Amino acid sequence: MFVPHSEIDLKKMFEELSISSLEELFTHIPETLKLNDGLNVPSTLSELESISHFESVESRNMQNLICFAGGGHYDVYLPHTVKTLTMRPEFMTSYTPYQAEISQGILQILFEYQSLICDLTDMELANASLYDGATSVAEAISVAINKTKRDGVVVSNGFNPNTKEVVNTLVDRSKFNIKYVDLVDYMFPEDYIFSDNDAAFVVSMPHYEGSAQDLTSIVQNAKAAGVITICYVDPSMLGILKTPGSMGFDIVVAEGQSMGSPLSFGGPTVGWFATKKELARLVPGRIIGESRDSNHTKTYVMTLRAREQDIRREKASSNICTNQTLNAVGSTIHLSWLGPQGLYEIGYQAIQKASYMKQQLIEHGFTISNLNNSLREFIVKTSRPSEEVILDMGLKGFLAGIKYSENEILVAVTEKRTKNEIDSYILSLQEVDNA
Amino acid sequence: MHSGGNASSLPLVGGAPEPTINELSKPGRRASRFPKLDVPVTEINNSAIRNDKPNLPEVSEHDLVMHYSRLAHRNFAVDLGFYPLGSCTMKYNPRFADYVASLNTFANSHPSAPSEFTQGNLEVLHELENFLIEITGMDNATFQPPAGASGELTGLLIIKKYLEENGLSNKKDIIVPDSAHGTNPASARMAGFNVVEVSTDIRGMVNIDDLRTLVNENTAGLMLTNPNTGGLFEENIMEISNIIHENGGLVYYDGANLNAIVGVCRPGDMGFDIVHSNLHKTFATPHGGGGPGSGPVAVKGFLKEYLPGPIVEKNNDQYSWYTPSFSIGRMHGYHGNFLVALRALVYMKLLGKEGLDNLGSYAVLNARYLSSIISKIIPLAYNEPCMHEFVATVKDLKKSHKIKAYDVGKALLDKGFHSPTIYFPLIIEEALMFEPTETQSVDTLDDLAETLKVIIDELQGEDVSLESYPKNLPVGRPNELIPAKHLTVNWGDFELLEITE
Repeated sequence: MFVPHSEIDLKKMFEELSISSLEELFTHIPETLKLNDGLNVPSTLSELESISHFESVESRNMQNLICFAGGGHYDVYLPHTVKTLTMRPEFMTSYTPYQAEISQGILQILFEYQSLICDLTDMELANASLYDGATSVAEAISVAINKTKRDGVVVSNGFNPNTKEVVNTLVDRSKFNIKYVDLVDYMFPEDYIFSDNDAAFVVSMPHYEGSAQDLTSIVQNAKAAGVITICYVDPSMLGILKTPGSMGFDIVVAEGQSMGSPLSFGGPTVGWFATKKELARLVPGRIIGESRDSNHTKTYVMTLRAREQDIRREKASSNICTNQTLNAVGSTIHLSWLGPQGLYEIGYQAIQKASYMKQQLIEHGFTISNLNNSLREFIVKTSRPSEEVILDMGLKGFLAGIKYSENEILVAVTEKRTKNEIDSYILSLQEVDNA
Repeated sequence: MHSGGNASSLPLVGGAPEPTINELSKPGRRASRFPKLDVPVTEINNSAIRNDKPNLPEVSEHDLVMHYSRLAHRNFAVDLGFYPLGSCTMKYNPRFADYVASLNTFANSHPSAPSEFTQGNLEVLHELENFLIEITGMDNATFQPPAGASGELTGLLIIKKYLEENGLSNKKDIIVPDSAHGTNPASARMAGFNVVEVSTDIRGMVNIDDLRTLVNENTAGLMLTNPNTGGLFEENIMEISNIIHENGGLVYYDGANLNAIVGVCRPGDMGFDIVHSNLHKTFATPHGGGGPGSGPVAVKGFLKEYLPGPIVEKNNDQYSWYTPSFSIGRMHGYHGNFLVALRALVYMKLLGKEGLDNLGSYAVLNARYLSSIISKIIPLAYNEPCMHEFVATVKDLKKSHKIKAYDVGKALLDKGFHSPTIYFPLIIEEALMFEPTETQSVDTLDDLAETLKVIIDELQGEDVSLESYPKNLPVGRPNELIPAKHLTVNWGDFELLEITE
């Protein structure tokens, strides 16, 4: 399948190689290693047969759930224009732009991507993508450790538990001491005291629980102790929240799914990474730069290559090679489609709708754990075990949120949700939680 | 010329450089529209809210579409022409897989949704695991690693944890061939190992004598591709894996070159304990301009409990998530690059036994044929039968005519072909590494060889300026020093530089 050769082609190739069968290609492979009967896998399917197979597998997922789950991945409206442009085969079926002269398309888009992220976050240099939000946090911590040569890592507890698990895997805990700091009333404590052994301070804005605060003074305290400050942001809230750069952060990372990628069951999405130029040589992954060719024509190229694994080998800033370029292309086109007004509206409408939902939940007898400082995401208390509530809400057509604790659910509202959906969610929750 | 090579890389829209989306911006223009807010407005008081609008370009939808379409026209791709980039397996990506990946709940499931709601997604991962462990000869797999390098790191962390659990924390050396991909030593270092390099013998294979001198009680394991990066099958693979196992180490298979052996032989039968596969290479998912990929890791049964969790389990026709008891922890925020894994499964189902049994054979046939006709133009690096890729060298042309591998690559671009991989593996001078894959026709292979001959003749001519190649593309050779020195990495940086200098 997808092998183009006819009998005539094969004859020509076999003659060139003086062989009479495919097996003769492998006379140098030890006989004991060869698969004599081939693989034990199902027989080939035509495209037509595959359609019904995959459509029936797909139908075993619960259909048409209205999404109130967030925690880093958000059901933001993804315009068809963005989807179809991103999936152009020139972008989809190319590889890393090693040959700049025939890759100006991808190179320029990645340059635009880097620039857009810098403008949005008030940073100076972004890379051309990392795997996802969680791994970006770990990569940022590694930059801070390499910069400061210190061994303490201060991480806010207000993170998706999966993100903390990734950090625990990727940061060597036999060498580095990760201190998780609890939020107090869903906010990072303003009076937290940093030590001069701390390499990094990592905090999420908004916190995983949905609450947000101006972090300027905490960042000042961290920087006074020589700590590299890292802000994890929700890109779909950047139109309405203060920028990490304006609060003094050194590094910004993000789960970029909500900008340009469908929910995708969590992947592929994209990890954003931006920082200041003084940290340029420690940055992981590819960076695109603007240059000129011999005719002084504008030309984009991969740059600062001496940081990367194919050149620097074991001394590289990271092992990343294949990244998430196509999702970065999606972010670029989506941000350009949104413009300042669109990105603002996504954040504004989400907060307004969440605010309405919280009021309605309270009126219907529910308790919001973090009513005051939460924005588009918040925690609602349940009387029944939260896991059971989520399963029963599925039967009513809702993905109710993410289990936060035994009796709490983390609920996210995006600009896509309507008043009707919110009202019927609350009615269903009443039925389910009192059942 | 039969394959259309010449036409493929010429830009359909030439002329002046494309402005950036920022240069196309005019205040007040917009593409986006949203429904009117349908809930009563509440006053929001939060110290984190900003007072101004974000800094983004303002463009109309048509301007946006034209801009990104014009950029698409300035990009080479597998759908446009021959991409013989060695080590990258740039084969045809079936369109049908994109259709399946766009099906509603595949594309739009929230990753936190309970397994009860996502049985179809878990079934995809389970079925793909069955294919993958059969193809590689292993027992269990994880799909969390989003790329090959992440798969390598996963494998190394498994080795580390396994050794720790068995009281062998003294074992800190990972042996890597001097011909290995850069990700191997980089990953080993990230996992906290020492990197020990083993040399390559004159035939292009692991130097067994050297390996024996390097192996000792500190050996944690070996990382190897087979075929190796020179495109040669390591014939002594059983001896190599035995040497490592006898010293209590584990053997790791870098799946970068798996395409050569699918249906022919299996890493699991060669003594490998851990295997990562690059689904975006071997199993034909689109490379997306540099990603996304997917780098699932498969292990022998004794390492199952070390896999990153959770992994999919099937009981009584129900799928659920299971976290292995000694798991190294998560490698990804959720389940890895699920839609890439799904596309790979589509490809495997389409190929089935008939296609998969012959996959490696046809990949090798194409490479062997191409190497045979190219060897009549420039010499090959090794006098051994190649597998799915091979390395040629222009070191003699460099001596006689100052023609470098770089120049040959650039001249090929003009003729509608992507350059082969150049200067890799590092141990071969002026290397050109070709990987045709099984999806290219014999006409295309002939065209590439014919074109290569034309180029080599042309470049040897008098008064040829090597630096002037490529000549027919939107841009010529870029100055690579400017951005590295001045960090022109954000729009406005270059203009600022021109003003200040």
